[in-house]
Amino acid sequence: MTPPTDKPKLLGQCERWLIPVLILSFCGATYWVSTTFKKMPPILKRGIQPSDFPQLLLLLLVFLTLLMVWKDPIRVRDRLMGSTVGTIALFAGFAALASIDFFLALGAFATVLSLFWGERRVPVLVLVGLLVPAAIFFTFDQVFEIRFPRGLLTSLWYG
Amino acid sequence: MDALIHGLVSLFDLHLLLLIFCATIGGVIIGALPGLNATTGAALLLPFTLTMEPVPAIATMTAIYCSATFAGAITAILINTPGTAASATTCLDGYPLAQQGQAGRALGMAVVASTFGGIFSVICLMLAAPLLARAAYHFSPPEYFALTLFGLSMLASIGDGSAIKNLIAGVFGILIAMIGVDNLTTVERFTFGSYHLYEGIGFVPVMIGVFGISELLVQSEKLHLKREVIRMKSVELPSARDYRESWRAILRSSGIGTFIGILPAEGATVASMIGYNEAKRWSRNPKLFGKGAIEGVAGSEAANNAATGGAMVPTLALGIPGSATAAVILAGLMVHGLQPGPNMFTEQADFAYAIFWSMMLVNLLFFVVGLRGAKIFARVTLIPVEVLWPVVFVFSIVGAYALDQSMFDVWVALVSGVIGYFMRRYGFSVVPLAIGLILGGMLEQRLGQSMVMLDEKWWLMFTRPLTLLFLVLTALALFGPAIWGRMVKRRAPLDSTGE
Repeated sequence: MTPPTDKPKLLGQCERWLIPVLILSFCGATYWVSTTFKKMPPILKRGIQPSDFPQLLLLLLVFLTLLMVWKDPIRVRDRLMGSTVGTIALFAGFAALASIDFFLALGAFATVLSLFWGERRVPVLVLVGLLVPAAIFFTFDQVFEIRFPRGLLTSLWYG
Repeated sequence: MDALIHGLVSLFDLHLLLLIFCATIGGVIIGALPGLNATTGAALLLPFTLTMEPVPAIATMTAIYCSATFAGAITAILINTPGTAASATTCLDGYPLAQQGQAGRALGMAVVASTFGGIFSVICLMLAAPLLARAAYHFSPPEYFALTLFGLSMLASIGDGSAIKNLIAGVFGILIAMIGVDNLTTVERFTFGSYHLYEGIGFVPVMIGVFGISELLVQSEKLHLKREVIRMKSVELPSARDYRESWRAILRSSGIGTFIGILPAEGATVASMIGYNEAKRWSRNPKLFGKGAIEGVAGSEAANNAATGGAMVPTLALGIPGSATAAVILAGLMVHGLQPGPNMFTEQADFAYAIFWSMMLVNLLFFVVGLRGAKIFARVTLIPVEVLWPVVFVFSIVGAYALDQSMFDVWVALVSGVIGYFMRRYGFSVVPLAIGLILGGMLEQRLGQSMVMLDEKWWLMFTRPLTLLFLVLTALALFGPAIWGRMVKRRAPLDSTGE
């Protein structure tokens, strides 16, 4: 774990307020969206209007958030680690590559993640990045008869 | 009685028996891997069961549930890292025993206590679930609404998070369930014109995200941790002296675990904590606890495995999950077109009893697997995270895609994973979110039906005795711990002065 320094403390203070503000903003925006739902005539509304229950929940969420700020504020002990930020960035890479080919993206992601987390043995990387995705692809394709989205590699198989 | 026998007979199918055996082994491996647990395992397995018939599909998931809950003890005893949260208390005495060269003895007791607790709870499940279902058969929408509300209120005390944060996560989960076309009025809500959101957010991708992918991000923080496995010769069956010392703890914890499991949303983790504490409280050698008391291992393991059967009681009889893994199993039942609740014991009784018998079988199977294979499964704990988690990611993403063959579900799983990670980072449990998502639609539907039935006079709910009882229980679940805490605080200074 990263030893506590002044910076994480500052960051923690920021996050302590940032999260409730985010939740309250979300509640405000969602409540506004819920006011745009269609209103049903009394004969068709079946007990409650479509907006009633979400609005009730949003008010409850606001109350609980304020209670959290007062009674149980958010405390962050450690700074977000580089390995976590890098892994989230790799998710974005996977999403971008998936538009070219789903399994190419999965294999590439698995290989790069394994490398990023410290694996250096080539046979292990081949296992993680090539053999496992390929085995999963063929299992789902042949056993479960699931069609994956067409792409650079999958089109070779589907023809 | 017929259903009981039919259920047992339906298990005598080679394909099904093989499947249950493989799932038991798979569950033990999942439970033995730090970071993976029964809930994640069941969530990852769910898409793989899509092509199966309902009995093999749900039997596979329950096999994972029971065996993974037991297997958490392997890592707890050998590497002082609980494979599942429910085994955290097993570390307290299991690891000291292992350090004293008695790992085989501790594991043997864990196997015996888990098996006893598991079988005890399945017998209770067989007796209690149909009775509960029969009682619930006459419930009207207001009773169901209040009962669902009670189930959700129990989320406040789930896990080790704060009650307020748990409730926030639960409400957030219910809000996600509001996305899509309203079942009562067919009005679109929060769809923003996207046809992907027309049928709402699927709970399977969300579960894969919050349990599987968020755990991957949690593991990314622990890359520097080194694990060492304590060597052992073999797993030993407990001696006569061990049985004499522990039988009371096993029996007591089995009862506690089953009861805690039956309570909506409370699972094996709470059960094992209470089971361990009670074992210590009633022990003749309480000072030995934490230093290697065999009773500690027995108390913790009997309780957490007994909670598995207990948790299935409200899940099958009322459609309210008894634990996080039971919530995933509930999702599995829904995906397979089954509606848990009182009708299950009249319309699908054979199915329900087949599941009970399969759970019984799993408990017997992991007794053999645990005794014979714990030494091998202990090696599994050494699989490096940099190999394990990329593979788990591939499984998670393919599983999320497979359900509806939709890339949208893949993005939902990824986004849920990132949100789940940040929720955990800031002290919010993801379990209430998952349970809220499953029960949200049901809660709103029952509120709507109640309002129609009561002619929109909601206060009439308080005039119905059962509804009132559930509402009082809800209030107790929400405010009881705070009031109790205040009372204890007030009394504490008096006690310290001896007055």
